[in-house]
Amino acid sequence: MDQFLQQLLNGLTLGSLYALIAVGYTVVYGIVQLINFAHGEVFMIGAFGAFTTWFVFFRNQTAFWVLIPMLIGAVVFAVGTALLMERVAYRPLRHAPRLAPLITAIGVSVFLQELIRLGYNNPLLFLANWNPFGLPSAKSAIPFPQIELVTGPALTPYGDIVVRRSALFILFSLAVSAFFLWWFINRTKTGRAMQAVSQDPDTARLMGINVDRIIAVAFALGAALAGLAGVAHGLQNNNIDFFMGFLAGLKAFTAAVLGGIGNIYGAVIGGLVLGIVEVMAVQYIPGGSPWKDIFAFALLIVVLVFRPQGLMGARVVDRA
Amino acid sequence: MTAVIDSPAPASTARTEPGYAWPVALAGSALLVVSGLLPWTFRSDVLGNVALTANPGPMQIFVLVLAVLAIVLLLARRGILPRVDAWSDTAGALRAVGAGAATLTVLGVLGISWQLGGLANVDPGAWLGLVGAALLTAAAFRMTHREHRDLFRAATSSWVEILAVILLLAAVLFGAAYALGQEDAATFVGVLVLVFTAVFALSKLGVFAWLGVVSQRHRQVLMLGAVAVAFLFPFTQEGSDANMSIATQVLIFATTALGLNIVVGLAGLLDLGYIAFLGSGAYVAAMMSHAAAATIGWKPNFLVIVVIGAIVSSVLGLIIGSPTLRVSGDYLAIVTLAFGEIFRLTVNNLDGGSGPDLTNGPNGIPGIPDLQIGSFNFAEPHELFGLPLGRFANYYFLLLVVAAVVITVFTRLNNSRIGRGWVAIREDERAAEAMGVNVFGLKLFAFAGGAFLAGMAGTIKAHHDVSVTPDQYIFLESAFLLAAIVLGGMGTVAGVLVGATILKLLPEKLRFAADYRLLFFGLLLVLMMRFRPEGIVPSRRRALEFHEDDEELAETIEDAHLEVVPDAAAEKGRA
Repeated sequence: MDQFLQQLLNGLTLGSLYALIAVGYTVVYGIVQLINFAHGEVFMIGAFGAFTTWFVFFRNQTAFWVLIPMLIGAVVFAVGTALLMERVAYRPLRHAPRLAPLITAIGVSVFLQELIRLGYNNPLLFLANWNPFGLPSAKSAIPFPQIELVTGPALTPYGDIVVRRSALFILFSLAVSAFFLWWFINRTKTGRAMQAVSQDPDTARLMGINVDRIIAVAFALGAALAGLAGVAHGLQNNNIDFFMGFLAGLKAFTAAVLGGIGNIYGAVIGGLVLGIVEVMAVQYIPGGSPWKDIFAFALLIVVLVFRPQGLMGARVVDRA
Repeated sequence: MTAVIDSPAPASTARTEPGYAWPVALAGSALLVVSGLLPWTFRSDVLGNVALTANPGPMQIFVLVLAVLAIVLLLARRGILPRVDAWSDTAGALRAVGAGAATLTVLGVLGISWQLGGLANVDPGAWLGLVGAALLTAAAFRMTHREHRDLFRAATSSWVEILAVILLLAAVLFGAAYALGQEDAATFVGVLVLVFTAVFALSKLGVFAWLGVVSQRHRQVLMLGAVAVAFLFPFTQEGSDANMSIATQVLIFATTALGLNIVVGLAGLLDLGYIAFLGSGAYVAAMMSHAAAATIGWKPNFLVIVVIGAIVSSVLGLIIGSPTLRVSGDYLAIVTLAFGEIFRLTVNNLDGGSGPDLTNGPNGIPGIPDLQIGSFNFAEPHELFGLPLGRFANYYFLLLVVAAVVITVFTRLNNSRIGRGWVAIREDERAAEAMGVNVFGLKLFAFAGGAFLAGMAGTIKAHHDVSVTPDQYIFLESAFLLAAIVLGGMGTVAGVLVGATILKLLPEKLRFAADYRLLFFGLLLVLMMRFRPEGIVPSRRRALEFHEDDEELAETIEDAHLEVVPDAAAEKGRA
């Protein structure tokens, strides 16, 4: 029983991370019907934003309050990246055939990965060597700062169950984010405008809603949560690297489909379910651990066959 | 030879050209000629020797070629070559030539100062060239465009047309051989600049539109010529295995990309896990090969293995396609991406520890022996017509056969009922369904068919590469295949060949920029989709799909099309 509870907790932790990223896919999809393939990279850049903030301003500090500027740094970097890519790469293609933005998204994804890998400690790339803050190279994994209170000794509240503090941080982040999302979508003017645009962009425009702005807000909203997830990932796994967005992004997309893409609460539920399924499969299927990543993708295919609208139900995409 | 059909007479535009533009441009071209004959630096080991007087090195020859082209165009502007002037916009071509010459000279100056340390090593010859190129470019930009008749309306006699097609193919053959022979990176970039400039200038002159129409009129000549060029290529390499290795890699890549082009370019299904089909073919061949680590005892004839590899791939295609093709294109992209990952992880895990021992896990299957078909061993060099052919040349010819099969399948399908069904699905799935197109069946057929071709190519790749490992079949490889199609042109054979060549050849030749390869690759995808989504060699229908509101393009395409199909015979009679 203890083992089951322990695994349930691990699954919820992992799932919360997926859920935070999945919201970004689903919000953007709900509004522009675009799979933002580069969203995983936004998550990665969020983590690097937090690390950069810490490295430049609070180096060697590990007090709890440092986490706040780090989170701000993560969100600023992630949102900046997302807004820039929306403006430069996606907006010009809004009326292009469906294939064009998807291919652009792949290009953006590869470009951002490489930009961080090569340019993190050398932003002028091949033009000159210039590294004003002495940042470390991102070609290999960078250790993430160990913040007091969040990465301290694990708690053992009941029986043999071990609760890592970073896991609590992730669960707490998801809870706060979910509440914030609910409030933003249902209680603010912008949130209601988002709902309107997602239902019918043309009519929404006629009602005086600035659709371009709403699309940018959707990108920013998803990116902010992805930035938060980037910090959570760094605290949980102790290091960050330029490639971490690829698999995480793929899993989070699976979570979004699982919950019903376009449905924000669905993304949260889908993320949690995916995390639990993955952890349980590894625990209870003999010889399962090398197959860990395959379970998620197999689940994706099964969902598409039997319930393409996802667990929570959403509009089914029916146009290639 | 050239006859005017009913089309508007050339008319000058309103803006008048300043009187000095022509003489200045001529002076610039003359300076370029002089520069080509003077030394650019004092050391003879830079840029393939540009240190001699009246004995130009490669870069200088490129400059001379452009200078001569500029002079011909300038003479045409003054009415000395009336045919060129009547049919072509020389101002646009001159701008391209000027910009190309400027790029070349700047490249030369940079190359010299980079390798010898400082601008002091650049001799007056190079500076003269820079000045000449600047003058030519500036003057060309002051020249006015004139409206001309479209060149593809010209009625030319068919021997001229056939000659042009043959010349084009010969240029491709010797251009490719020459470019591959360049060891110096700066000179190689110089070749690229020259080719790019020439293509740009000629397309401004309308030569490519004309060639497009002409090559449709003489399809057989083009096909035969292309086969001959591909067949003759290894003989230009004098047994050099290094270049043939690149050429075979390009062929494997191009063949796979052509298979993917059926799925993406014709049926419009975005498959991001295509490399897995190549991989399953390769793994099948490796497991059944005579390698020490091979895991299957049955060693049939290689032709049987090719068929098995292709069938295994297409079965995997059916398994992954049947659930996802019902839903939507967007899902398909991500599910195929996930499938690619599943494939990589699975071959990584099937090592006997966490599953049956089939693929030997992360180590893969090394030491796959070379192919042996009948008494012909692919490892041994051979001699044909007294010319030596190495190991890679053997594979090259085999791959040529496979590529020919894939191209035949591609063009046959494209021009069939199935191909038209795919186009209908790509443009509007619902409308296609309403018209009675079997949407699901055709999509599944495209998917499994593409997988079949990739599996076939994979079986040869395993022997060519000597080993198969899971990390040869990562997502990035799928992205590269997709990029070849996007870059070259969706739905065309020539486009994919061009795209595959660029994507494989450039990294081989520009090793100094190897670390930035992927950065440029990502940027390239974004820029292509933004500015030229139809690719370098677009399919006309595809170009229209991407530029729906461009009515001029629609008219041009319609005109060119009408010109070719019904009136071709009549025109020839009139000429």
